[in-house]
Amino acid sequence: MARESGLKARAAALAPEPMTVLKQSVLPLVAAFVIPLIFHFGIGPSVGAYPSKVLLDIGINVVLAVSLNLVNGFTGQFSIGHAGFMAVGGYTAGLVTYYGGYRIWGDSLPHGGFLGAGEMLFLVATIAAALSAAAFGYLVGLPSLRLRGDYLALVTLGFGEIVRVMIQQTSDIATDATEIAATSWPSLLWKVGGALGFTGLPFYTSLFWVWLWVSLTVLVASRLKTSTHGRAFLSIREDEIAAEAMGIPTTTIKVRAFVMSAAFAGVAGSLFAHEVGTTLNPGELGFQKSFEVVIMVVLGGMGSVSGCVLAAIVVTVLPELLRSVDEYRMVAYALTLILMMILRPQGLFGLREIWEIWPFKALFRSEAK
Amino acid sequence: MTGILEVQGVSIAFGGLKAVQDFRLSLREGGLQGLIGPNGAGKTTVFNLLTGVYRPDSGTVSLGGHNLIGLKPHQIARAGMARTFQNIRLFADLTVLDNIRIASHARTWTSTLASVLRTPGAIAAESAITEHAMELLDVLGLADRAQETARNLPYGDQRRLEIARALALDPEVLLLDEPAAGMNPQEKIALRGLIRTVRERFSLSVLLIEHDMGLVMDLCEQITVLDHGTVIADGSPESVQGNPRVIEAYLGAPSAEVSA
Repeated sequence: MARESGLKARAAALAPEPMTVLKQSVLPLVAAFVIPLIFHFGIGPSVGAYPSKVLLDIGINVVLAVSLNLVNGFTGQFSIGHAGFMAVGGYTAGLVTYYGGYRIWGDSLPHGGFLGAGEMLFLVATIAAALSAAAFGYLVGLPSLRLRGDYLALVTLGFGEIVRVMIQQTSDIATDATEIAATSWPSLLWKVGGALGFTGLPFYTSLFWVWLWVSLTVLVASRLKTSTHGRAFLSIREDEIAAEAMGIPTTTIKVRAFVMSAAFAGVAGSLFAHEVGTTLNPGELGFQKSFEVVIMVVLGGMGSVSGCVLAAIVVTVLPELLRSVDEYRMVAYALTLILMMILRPQGLFGLREIWEIWPFKALFRSEAK
Repeated sequence: MTGILEVQGVSIAFGGLKAVQDFRLSLREGGLQGLIGPNGAGKTTVFNLLTGVYRPDSGTVSLGGHNLIGLKPHQIARAGMARTFQNIRLFADLTVLDNIRIASHARTWTSTLASVLRTPGAIAAESAITEHAMELLDVLGLADRAQETARNLPYGDQRRLEIARALALDPEVLLLDEPAAGMNPQEKIALRGLIRTVRERFSLSVLLIEHDMGLVMDLCEQITVLDHGTVIADGSPESVQGNPRVIEAYLGAPSAEVSA
């Protein structure tokens, strides 16, 4: 019944030039596939095993921080249960690659080389991880997003703990090929190792896969931020009542932010589960992990994609550099947070991106509009 | 003749406080109507009832013949009723341009997926939104401030930005909640012209809450006076000015004792 706004007719007259489409739409997508290849075949082999492992950890943390930023930064809701979604994703993916591997090949070892059959199974597993985490995000989000501030934080914290405790109650992993072949899928769902963790998963996580997902996550988040849908997210953070009065369906948008954020956390969980040198166990994915991600977002800037990337790098690399004083890490975290809250409550970059801030602004001036 | 906005018998009580009782209003299409009353009379509550922030206990509200009762605020906004706020509610940390573009979101049709994939259609939609927003800023005289952060604008500009943002919804009815509050006399004169211009240009019907009587009497063709949540007078500026109940509501009864 509302009058025709004329936006559609206007848009029809503003069809973009092919070059614009190429530059804005296609090239970043190409880059999202080229960058992981560079990491995998260029940077990885030349820096050696330990730095490569750090690069994997950085990538996973970037996915976590940038995805949590969709909720805590863009939409201004305070979630502290991100590790819960990560755990849901990790265990889902683990089920697919472990028991799926047994069903297909009779063992849970990696099969095929780069982009081989095994890695395709890993891709399927990661997508399944994203979907199941998103489903949990929806289930948690729908009833709880009417809550504000501290109340929402408590619900998400509770969710994370429920996931952790549930996983602790699961039974031992099945390790016998014939037994696994004879067991139905629904009963395998519960055989994920309990408190000891889901061990024996194939190590599929490589620099290629991690940085592919990093590229996609960053691409989605930054494109969202500069689009009308992302601005709808931001309007809720700025003023929920005004957003609603301007025709933004705030509840729908909040649930959407929650679901998208959870999906990428699930991806991070899958990457984490199949990485060399990590064990997928409920203790690793508890409150502490959730809080680590919150710290990255708060540090980098609530709403800044590039800020979150930078913060994720810093928060991953610093403990590696300070291994000798590892036990003081949490003290350092706490002090950093307190200092940030006093000196720069909006985070290092606030809502801005790195290139919107002097001295980088000059470098990007031709791009910035 | 029925108006574009028809309100009949709307009441709401907060606990024992009857904030608004049996409120009625008929806003003629293209009309400019004032809603006045002493502080605490319930004017903003009426706005909140019309825009769905509160749901009335009883009564009917219809816009262009369509019932609005029970709709959520964002649905009412999309149905064609835009508002500004008495205590400015801008998206303070965003740019002036983004403030406007957010209101256009209700009128866009691209999916989230298309936006993320940056399809040609989504790119065109973004250009259309930006162009539309810049035009509105131009009309409101804020075009050269498009990239500034909203919170850094001077007070008068913030008020005008709120009007521009409401216009980006392409409303049929515009509710202005004390747009002149805190403005100096010159700004008020400019605002008077502005309200006339936008009503003309966007063929709006305007409902205006305002304390500045000069502004209200000059602008409005029809005035509704509210006191203690009830309509005490309704009519042309002249008839309302001479109405003894209105004078009493503002100045007290002639026979009332003056107490310290």
